[in-house]
Parts: sequence; C-alpha cells; structure tokens
Amino acid sequence: MDQQVDVVVVGGGSTGCGVVRDLARRGLDAVLVEKGNLTHGTTGRMHGLLHSGGRYAVSDRKSARECIEENMVLRDIAGHCVEETGGLFVKRPEDSEEYFQEKLEGCRACDIPVEVIDGEEARRREPYLARDVEKAIALPDGAVDPFRLCVANAADAREHGARIETHAPVTDVLVEDGAVVGVEVEHETGPGKRVHREPGTTEEIRARHVVNATGAWAGNVGEMAGVDVEVRPSKGVMTVMNTRQVDTVINRCRPKGDADIIVPHETACILGTTDEEVDDPEDYPEEDWEVDLMIETLSELVPALKDARTLRSFWGVRPLYEPPGTGTEDPTDITRDYFLLDHGERDDLPGMTTIVGGKLTTYRMMAESISDHVCEALDHEATCDTAEAPLPGSENPARMDELMNEFGLRSPVARRSGQRLGSRADDVLDEWDPNPVVCECEGVTRAEIQDAIGEAGSDLNAVRLRTRASMGNCQGGFCSHRIAAELAREYPEPVVRDAEDELYQERWKGQRHALWGRQLSQAMLNHLLHATTMNRDGDPATLDAEVDFGAFDAGSEAGSAGSDAAGDSDAGTAATDGGCAADDAAIDGGRAADDAAIDGDREADDAAADGGA
Amino acid sequence: MTRHTDDGETEEANGPDEKREGVDGPDEKREDADGSTTGAAPSSPAPGVPEAGRDEQPSIFVPDDGEVPEGTPSERPATDGGVESAAGGSDSADLDPDAYDPVDVFPGGDLDLREGADSCYKCTSCDTSCPVAEVDDEFPGPKFQGPEQWRLKRKDDHDIDESITSCSNCMRCDDACPSSVPLSQMHNEARGQFVESQMEKLSREYIRNRILSNYRFFASIASKVPRLANAATKIPGAMKVGEKLLGIAGDREFPDFATQTFREWWKARGGAQVENPDKRVAYFHGCYSNYNTPEVGKAMVRVYEHFGYEVMVPPQKCSGTPMFANGMLKDARRHAETNVENLVEAIGEGADVIASCTSCSLSLRQEYPELFDIHGIEDVSEHTYEALEYLRINEDLEAELAGTELADEQSFAYHAPCHARNQGLDRQAVETFRDVDGVELEDVGDSCSGISGTYGWKEEKYEKSMEIGAEMFEHMEDAEGDVGMTECPTCAMQMEHGTGYEVEHPLQLLEDAVGA
Repeated sequence: MDQQVDVVVVGGGSTGCGVVRDLARRGLDAVLVEKGNLTHGTTGRMHGLLHSGGRYAVSDRKSARECIEENMVLRDIAGHCVEETGGLFVKRPEDSEEYFQEKLEGCRACDIPVEVIDGEEARRREPYLARDVEKAIALPDGAVDPFRLCVANAADAREHGARIETHAPVTDVLVEDGAVVGVEVEHETGPGKRVHREPGTTEEIRARHVVNATGAWAGNVGEMAGVDVEVRPSKGVMTVMNTRQVDTVINRCRPKGDADIIVPHETACILGTTDEEVDDPEDYPEEDWEVDLMIETLSELVPALKDARTLRSFWGVRPLYEPPGTGTEDPTDITRDYFLLDHGERDDLPGMTTIVGGKLTTYRMMAESISDHVCEALDHEATCDTAEAPLPGSENPARMDELMNEFGLRSPVARRSGQRLGSRADDVLDEWDPNPVVCECEGVTRAEIQDAIGEAGSDLNAVRLRTRASMGNCQGGFCSHRIAAELAREYPEPVVRDAEDELYQERWKGQRHALWGRQLSQAMLNHLLHATTMNRDGDPATLDAEVDFGAFDAGSEAGSAGSDAAGDSDAGTAATDGGCAADDAAIDGGRAADDAAIDGDREADDAAADGGA
Repeated sequence: MTRHTDDGETEEANGPDEKREGVDGPDEKREDADGSTTGAAPSSPAPGVPEAGRDEQPSIFVPDDGEVPEGTPSERPATDGGVESAAGGSDSADLDPDAYDPVDVFPGGDLDLREGADSCYKCTSCDTSCPVAEVDDEFPGPKFQGPEQWRLKRKDDHDIDESITSCSNCMRCDDACPSSVPLSQMHNEARGQFVESQMEKLSREYIRNRILSNYRFFASIASKVPRLANAATKIPGAMKVGEKLLGIAGDREFPDFATQTFREWWKARGGAQVENPDKRVAYFHGCYSNYNTPEVGKAMVRVYEHFGYEVMVPPQKCSGTPMFANGMLKDARRHAETNVENLVEAIGEGADVIASCTSCSLSLRQEYPELFDIHGIEDVSEHTYEALEYLRINEDLEAELAGTELADEQSFAYHAPCHARNQGLDRQAVETFRDVDGVELEDVGDSCSGISGTYGWKEEKYEKSMEIGAEMFEHMEDAEGDVGMTECPTCAMQMEHGTGYEVEHPLQLLEDAVGA
C-alpha cells in the first residue's frame, strides 16, 4: 500500500499539525506521521500558556511581536481551545524596578496592550497573590489547550483530504539520487486508527517533499537523511495543582529564572518551569528537587500553593536551535525564534525541510511560513487562509442553555463539555442517550468519550487528550476502568484490558512525582481499589493463554502448582503500582527507560515472592 | 435577673425583609467566672472576641472526649478546612494566615471553596450516606454538589446547578467523609449563590421556601392568637389550599402553637430562679421550643436549675438552620447578627450557650463560622453545647441517675437526628438513661428521619421524605416503646406523622428522672 503524495509531514506536535492543515487547505495531498499520539513530544508537555509576548518583550522583541499577533489570531480561530484568562507580571519587593520598567517599555514597543496596576488592585483581581506583591503589569496572556488545538488542526486537515497517521514512527528517510523522496514508517498496529493487538505493518510513503517537524527529535530524522540538525534540547519541569489557585496567568516580573509562571489550565493550575540542556530528548533525569523548586519559589507569589494538593509533574523538552557557530552557553539565552532549514540549500539535499525552535503560540505562523516554502518548492500556487478559517469546533461557542435543557447536562458538566467541544457539542451529545458522566473530576460524559474513541480507536490516552477524562484529581483511579468499559461496545476484551492498563500506567507515571500528602492518599486508594478490589495485580483473566484452573483448585494438596500460575500471570499483567509489563518501555517511546529498569527489578522481585509463596 | 429576660418579642414585628445594621460585639475584655480570659485569639484586639469568622479556617465541630469543656479553642483542629488536617504533616502552620483569603475571589463576597476539593479522594462515602440520593435518582449526590462542582468552578462561572435545591442539608455527608471535605459548607455556599442569583424571586418555589425558612416570623404572628391559628390549620382543606397555593405538603399536620410561649412563661415566672455567677448558661431555645413545645424549654430550665445553674435567656432569633437549607443566607445572616451579639454578651458574663435543639447547636457551632464573618462568631461557636451534652460533660449525670427509678415504666423509640450525629451526640440519650430503672430507650437505628427541617414540608419532596423515613418508621414500630424520643423538633414531627406516636425530648425524661 505504498503511496505517492505531495508532502509528508513528520511530527504530530503543534507545528506538524499546523503544517498539515495549512497544506491540505491549500489543496496539497499531505500525510502527517507521528510516532506516538498527537502532541506526544513537546507539545503535550507544556504549561499551556498562550503568550501575549510579554515574556519576550525585553529579550526578544521579534518573538514578542509574533506572539501578540498570533495570540489574537488564535482567540478567533481556536476559541474552543483558548481561555482568555488575562495575565499579570507581578513584582515583589526584591524584584528590580528597572526591569519592571524595561518590561513595560518592551511591551509597549511590541504593541502588547498593557496596564500597570498596584498591589491592591492585583490582589483584588487575584486574591491569593502574596500580600507583598507591589504592583503588576496586566496584559493579554491566556491559556491554550495544546491537545485540543492539535486535534482540531489534524481534524481540519483530514476534512481537507489529508491523512493522519499516529503511532507511526519514521524508520527511514528515503533518499534517491541525492534527494529525499519519502519516508518509511512502521505502523505499530497497522495503518489508520490505533487498535491494540492489531499486527504492525511497514509502509513507504513517497512524497515530493518531506517536512521534518519533529522538534527536539529533528536531529534523529535528519540523521536518517544523512544531514546534521543541531537541536539543543532543553528540559523543563511542570507541576500540576489540583485546583485553580489563580484564574489569571501569573508571571514573575524578573529576568530569566526558574519557576516563574503559574498558568490556570482548565480545572488545574500548572506551575513552570526550569530550563536545562539535556543530551537526549528521550532520556534525561526527572528529579524531585525540580518539583520542590516549583512549589517553593512560586509560593512567593501565591502562598496557598505551599499547602495545596499537587496532582502530578511532567517534563517537556524544548526544541531550541541556534545556527551553528552561535555558541550560546546558557540554554535560557538561546533564542525562542524558529528556523526553517532548507536542506537543499543548506546540505545539498533537496526534498526535505526542517523546522526547529519556535513556540506553540506562534505555531500557525510557523506553519504558514513553512507551507509557503513548500508550495514554492513544489511550484504550487495557493493562498494561506489559516489565520481566518476557524478550526473545527471553534465556528461558534456552544450554547449552554441547550446543553443543559436539551441534553440534560448538569451545569458544570455542560460548561466544561461546551468549552471542550465548542460548536461540535450538539453533534457529539446528540448521539448518546442515556449519557452518564464517565469521568466525574472533569465532567466528561459517555458521548464525548465515544466521540473520541471514534477518532482514536482503542488508544485511551488519545481519548484522554481529546476529552481530559482521567486528568482530574483521581488520576484515573475511579474512571480508567469506566472509560475502558466504553471501548467494550466495539472492541474485544483483551484489547480493552490492554487499553485500560496503558491509560492507568500513564496516569501513574506523572503521579510518581506527587507522592506526598493528599495525592499520596489518592494514589494509595487507587492502588488498593485496582490491585485488590478489581484484582488487577494478578488477574488470570488478563492472560492471553488459557487459564490453568487446576492451579487454583488444587489447594493444599497440590504442592507447588501455584508458582507456575504466578509465573504466567506476570506476562500480560500491568501491575497497578506502576511496575509495568516489560513491553511498556517500547510503548512509551523510550521515555520510560528508567521505568523499565525499575520495573524489571520489580517483576523479578514479584516473581521471586510469588514463587516462594 | 430581669436583664436576661429582655422581651425579644419587640423585634418580632420585623419580617423577613427587615434590615439591620451590622452589629459589632462589645469590645471590652471578656472574663470567665474564674477570671481567666476565654477564647482569646492571640492577635485579636479584643480578647475573647476573635475578629474574623469567615476568613479564618472553617472550624467544624469535633466531638471531644468530654474531658475538656473549656479547652483552648485555638488548639482545636479545624477538620474541614482541607488544608490543615489533610496536608499530611506539611508545615501549614508556617503559612501566613493573612497571605490569602477565600473571601472575595468570587464577586460579591462569595466564598471560594475550590480548595476544599483538594481533600476529596472521590471515595464516594458521602454519596452512599446521602439519604436523598438513595431515593431520588435525579439527585447527583453530595460529591457532585460539593467537591466536584466546586473544582469545576471558575471565577467567571456564576451558575450553580439547580440540583443543589434537592439537598436537604441533613449534613450526613460531613459525618461520612473520611477526609474532612467541607461538604455542607460547599453545599450551603452553592445553594446561597444559586438562590441569590439564579432563582426567580417571584416564583412560587422561592416564596414557599422563604416562608418555610422564616418559620419564626410566621410562628410569632400565629402565637399572638394561638387558638385561632391552630383552628385555622385544622379547617378541612386548609392544608390542601396551602399545597395548591404554595406547594407546602398538604398531607402534613401543621404543628400546634402553644397557648403560652416559652418566653411568656419565663417572664411570668420571673426569670431565673437560681443565681450562680460560677455556673451560668445562656439558653438558646430556638423557635420551636418557644412557640410550639415550651415544655421542652421548661424542662431545660428546671433540669439546669436542679443542677444549680443560673439560666439566662438572651434575646434571640432563628438559628438559621431552615434558612441555610433553603439558601436564604441573607436572612440567616441578619438573624445571626442578633444572635451573635446577644450570645457574645452572655458569654462575656461567663455563660456557655446551651441549645435543646441539635440543629440549633450545630448551626451555631459549625455553620455560623463557616459561612459568616461576624464579630465574635467564633466565640459563640466555641462556647455552644447541646443541653444534654453539656450536663454529661460538666455534671456527674451517671451518679445522679444511678438508682433513680421512674414511677411508671416507660419505653421509648429513640431516633438520633442527623445533626446530632454530626456533633457526635447520636448515642448520648441512650447512654444517659441506660441505668435508670423503669426506662427503656431503644435506638431505632441510624437512618435519617427524612424530613430534614423544611425538606419534607415541600410538596414535591413529600413522597421522598416519607420514603427516606420508612426505615425509621418501621424500626419505631418494631421497638417496644410506643412513645418516640428525639432532640430535633422536625424529626419529631416526622416520627409522629409516620407512626402516630407522641414524641418527647430527652430533657423531658431527664426532668422526670432527676425530679427537677
């Protein structure tokens, strides 16, 4: 089933999704391939800030101007992905007045609408701000849901004829006669929607042009094509709080520094971040002190954070890039600008373009510029309309009264569903009656889950990204099995079990960095429910093989029969405490390298314990 | 002692729409009878009268072991604020209490209770103990109403789901929660916001609820002409008219008004018969003991005087319980201002506050400081006790009752009100009378009576109310006694309505037992 298309876009982050949408709307035949889920790499691991540009107004005015421009565009075209929270740059007594003024001037110079307010007014707007905050600059920062944004871009691309392939890592870049002519991908569970346990296939997708939009991974793809792309990946930690301590984006007004932003994101707040260069975007240490630093430092701005419940932490890797020879030492000094690398010009390898750097807020602008470049390369004339055409779901806001009266949703559920689904709400909700709430923390109903399953197959993490189901305070403890049960209408039981395990494991991973206080209690309760009540730490029904019932019934007369059963049961079972089956590391795309090692030990211990029993 | 018999009736003419200026408690230093200051918060400018109520950590009532009636209030752990109890040993004490403030996050001074969701583990103990959820499939339950709805809330969201009006405010969820989520506070606040901004003020439901909440206002008028009022409610069809016009359950029997209110009786007898500066209590009789069952109030006075207490009866209004249950927070606050002012004054004179109604005592103890910020409100909370509880703490009731024998053998079917359960008082009556000869008190189990104050009076809730009460009715009928007993006046109505039994208050039995 090899295919000849106009363009293959590699990477399903915001840039790749934006590019494939733009190209598809311009009438090109495009394919997006992504090795994990959409947003799998950096896009899904950011704090969700829709920049006003204020952050760059001192150090990088070009980026700042682009940010404010695109900020306004996204409010128009992606209303259902954006929350117009507003933002504050707050100054504490120890923060420099000079810098405050520089920030202010910078914002004005970049046409970012600003207002200076005193500490009292700042606390009136955000009462949890520390009492000694002196003053603040108010500007139009916002929150954006990167998952919904990418999914909407991909959906629009598909509506315009593009093909979107997730879980399809590129295994080779095809080079013929000194030019890139396509890529070879491995479909982990076959092409199309991901369904667990479907056999994998390989496909060569031949294209007139390849766009490498893999961000921090751009070097890997470059290597397959035989070119050097020197991305300098830099990690940053983000910590998710259970509730919103602030409803406005809170920035610390001081020159670069760690732990200087709080973004209200959906039901939660995300604290960010650090900036530390790493060698490998797949394998870097996630350290507790980074989380502690977030909470401690940001408590200076919002003291309530100190005692608030933390849900989880995650790390992302920035795809920083600077032209060879710039030689910046400190990653925080590397420009946030984006770079378009035309490998034809640069490396004498036509047929491929790489885009690196940049940020989510300006994803559309980056996509437009690379699409212009591709169209020029392919001699294709078409105009870009992505700044005007609303994304699917953002045509109109959902009507709350309708969701409540016609579809019988409780008002907070209607509010959240309406925000997530936007103009799609009617169509999605109309499909299911009765329509119970499946994820209580985030107010996600069956209809929304089923809609996501329709798009994502049996991949419940992809369902999660679309719906937020399992992203609330129980972190899947009370809903991952309910969500999985929704799969059972369509998929066989082993698929459902695999999907459930995978979701539960993913939820566990982030919680490992929040195991104190109340989230520790939650994690323990989840563990007890799943391991004990639901018998998921060794349920023979999860075995692929026939169940050896003799091993259970022989009782005291049967000597060592039990140890065999225990040995078998390790194979297909995900331990509910995060120790996971051996093949998990592969699914995680390597980020779980540590895990695998730990899990390996665990499995061995478990096996030993079981064997001895 | 006539200063304590001030006739509160002069204020009766004010109806639900009365307006009162905010009242500040007196600022002079308060002293206990033994000379020590009480309830002093270290930073308070007026010792004994902490400044704030609403902006401090909400303090739910924690049943103590009965050993320290006068313990230092500031050391009592707040169990429902979420932060303090559940942070797992984190250094919350280091947190500057002034650094943040849940008031005013939402516009109009509404409380921001999102943080309470931090304590919820979704275990669903609250839902499984909710009597309304058990019988009403449309009611999403306390977990949704409380931590879930609050967590999903944002500063700019103003709407509260209508289902909050189906919560009966029995507050069993508070008792059920293993993690100190401030459920009833979340419900009360949400309901208040709903009624304030989403409920049609001319709707039949609103008017009906306003009337039910302000029972005291109507009772005070009816009590001027009790016989006429009693006759009027018994005119055939009168209650049906009430149902048609107002949506008040027509199958219920309206309670009789006493021909002499408790306060009238108190005035007529010349107030307190015992003077004792070392043992003073301020009696919060509530509306029902005053207008409908003055025999309960009289029993309280006689029993306490028997134990040598000087009883004060300060001017007072409704405790707010029916108003909280109907989201009428403004009414409740107005009444609370009067109550707090007068009770703080009594506390200043060395009194503790005693209520014979367990809902009144719960309201003063828990709902007041959780919902209002009135000068001295924490002090009132710290000094309030239920009548039997206070005697069990401070007197040797066991010795007093040992060997007592009642002339006539009596058996009672005792129901512990949900609000008593929340204060840890659900076994006190049974325990108190266990060793009295000739008395048999049988606990009819831990179900809710189903009336929850005004809930069962609503036409649309009546059937559900009776369904919730069915278990209690059945257990009462199975019990040996054919007289009911409970501390709560509306539970008593329901018990009587469901079984036809007469219902007494434990204080009346105690009065008999000690021969007061």
